[in-house]
Amino acid sequence: VRAAAWTVAGLLVAGPAGAGSREIQVGFEEFHYATGETALNRGNVLGLDDKEDLLRATLGYKESQGSLRLVFRGFVEKRLDTDVDTDWTTREAYAQYGFGDGLSVRIGKQRVSWGSGFAWNPTSRLEPPKNPLNPSLEQQGALAVRTDWIPTAWAGVILVAAESEVVSRDAPLDAPSRTRRTGAVRARLLVRDTDLAVVFSGGRNQRTLLGLDVGRTFGPVSAHAEATTYRGAELPPARDDQRFSRLVAGLLWTRDQTSVSAEYFYNGEGYSQDELDLYLADLDSAYRHSIDPALPPPIQSLEGQRYRALAAVPYSGGLGLRQHYLQAAWSRGTSSGTWTAALRGVLALSDGGTALTPGLTWSPTGHLTANLDAILLFGPDDSEYGMSPLRSALQTRVKVIW
Amino acid sequence: MSSLLLVALLAAPPPADEILRRAQGAVLGETAVYTLRMTVSRPGKSERVVEMKGWKKGDDLGLVRYTSPPKERGTAYLRNGGSTWLYLPSAEKVVRVGAKQNFGGGDFSNGDVFRLSLSKDYVATLAGEETVDAQACWKLELKARDRSVAYDRVVYWVRTDGTFFPVRADYYTLSGRRLKWLTTAEVGKIGGRARPTLLTMESALETGARTLLKFLAIQDDVPLDDRLFTPSALEKGE
Repeated sequence: VRAAAWTVAGLLVAGPAGAGSREIQVGFEEFHYATGETALNRGNVLGLDDKEDLLRATLGYKESQGSLRLVFRGFVEKRLDTDVDTDWTTREAYAQYGFGDGLSVRIGKQRVSWGSGFAWNPTSRLEPPKNPLNPSLEQQGALAVRTDWIPTAWAGVILVAAESEVVSRDAPLDAPSRTRRTGAVRARLLVRDTDLAVVFSGGRNQRTLLGLDVGRTFGPVSAHAEATTYRGAELPPARDDQRFSRLVAGLLWTRDQTSVSAEYFYNGEGYSQDELDLYLADLDSAYRHSIDPALPPPIQSLEGQRYRALAAVPYSGGLGLRQHYLQAAWSRGTSSGTWTAALRGVLALSDGGTALTPGLTWSPTGHLTANLDAILLFGPDDSEYGMSPLRSALQTRVKVIW
Repeated sequence: MSSLLLVALLAAPPPADEILRRAQGAVLGETAVYTLRMTVSRPGKSERVVEMKGWKKGDDLGLVRYTSPPKERGTAYLRNGGSTWLYLPSAEKVVRVGAKQNFGGGDFSNGDVFRLSLSKDYVATLAGEETVDAQACWKLELKARDRSVAYDRVVYWVRTDGTFFPVRADYYTLSGRRLKWLTTAEVGKIGGRARPTLLTMESALETGARTLLKFLAIQDDVPLDDRLFTPSALEKGE
């Protein structure tokens, strides 16, 4: 990370971009969370204050010179009112080189944003998972080598070897994580104005999956469907002998500065009510044992670790605890692009929980954008959103771009 | 007698298809790389100005990448046949969008920008000669070949002075309502030849709403690989 930071600093002072292009972004992000003691945070084992504040200073840099592109994005984060050290995170740091129109190679920490789904991408198991409370946040990339090969005008192939964490880091949760290593190939075809993509991926600490992605336009509406099948579950228990599937299907309508989208997500391995009850009972058991004075301290400690691992399950890249979700999003901007309002809602059809994310973007000049977003969670205590230790959030982001 | 016949033949206008073909090549060549500035105006609101670089090949392949302002840099539109995709650099994501969607939030549709050629989508007939903006013009009636295109009918005026520069186009819906009209101006030498360099699209539905496309540079007949115009290429980013 230090080497990347020094490299960027060196490039920043190296002079004008010459014949290429250069972009520099500097910003601040402030995340204000209201937290609570829920099934995932019994006795506040996560050590959260009632009000948590994360302050981030962000830096972005992109330089293109001929066939070479260098990208860096990262942030320094301070959890306010705590003695937790300031933390540096690199979201992306990669170099890309193109060999004509048909081949390019990208090496470093990078996003691998494939899949036609908006809120869920079941065919992409390469990156650290999105924060399920706010998938619109800029994502961290995976350490990867990626090759894009376009042999013909109707076909493209992407090969990726990646390493990433399996727990979302965009939330103040002290969740245990582990590393997964993935090899993946995605073949994309354009057949009679229809997008088709076939994905195969597998590796360590993950399931081997086969995916299919389809997209087509019908007049003013574009439609997409992204599906996978794999053996064994990502959510505990492992259920190694069962085959699961996931499907995202959605529509997008755009006109002028307005866009409306809707998306349905079927998560085949999501918990039924009985399975959720078992999960909650397991959580409860682990918590009670962790504070049971009758048990030896080492056992209490082990049970505490088990509780934390179970509490991290909703943030461990399983794409959702339950089976059926519906997402709708709307955004509208002014013709000048100065103001944009957006509202996004996810309804967990299986448990009645709802996450609403209203937002406002102000961009008075071409160099400055400021976002104000809120996250509001509703639902029964044992619903996915009702269990979240983060009860609501207010996010302010300011970015200056040259 | 034969000389009279020759004069008559010389004075006769070319076939409508030929006029349309020559007119659509008057702004951009069969393949072209260009830069342009788009200005979107709405009554009582501040203007939105975007600069972009574009690549065009034939009637079906087009790519435009925003270069300015910085907050929109990297945003790209791709047209390949009947499909249009939008690349969002902040999400590093390619999204398929409707072909009739307005381009960049202005008054041009994606089809207007990427399919400057009309002959594939419309049947042209010559409807006479008229003077438009002090220019003698052929008036062409264009009727949509099918309902997949943005407009059912287009009335198109092309200069008769041998330049074949398009002067004006009126766009109509299936119900016969005029949606908007295009005018061309500022003929100047750019990319080695004279051509209209300013296209203005005005809305017939909202008084004062207009979008200007000003060509800043054009290179015609540049060899372009078809693979440039694919969603796979778009996925790689800039």
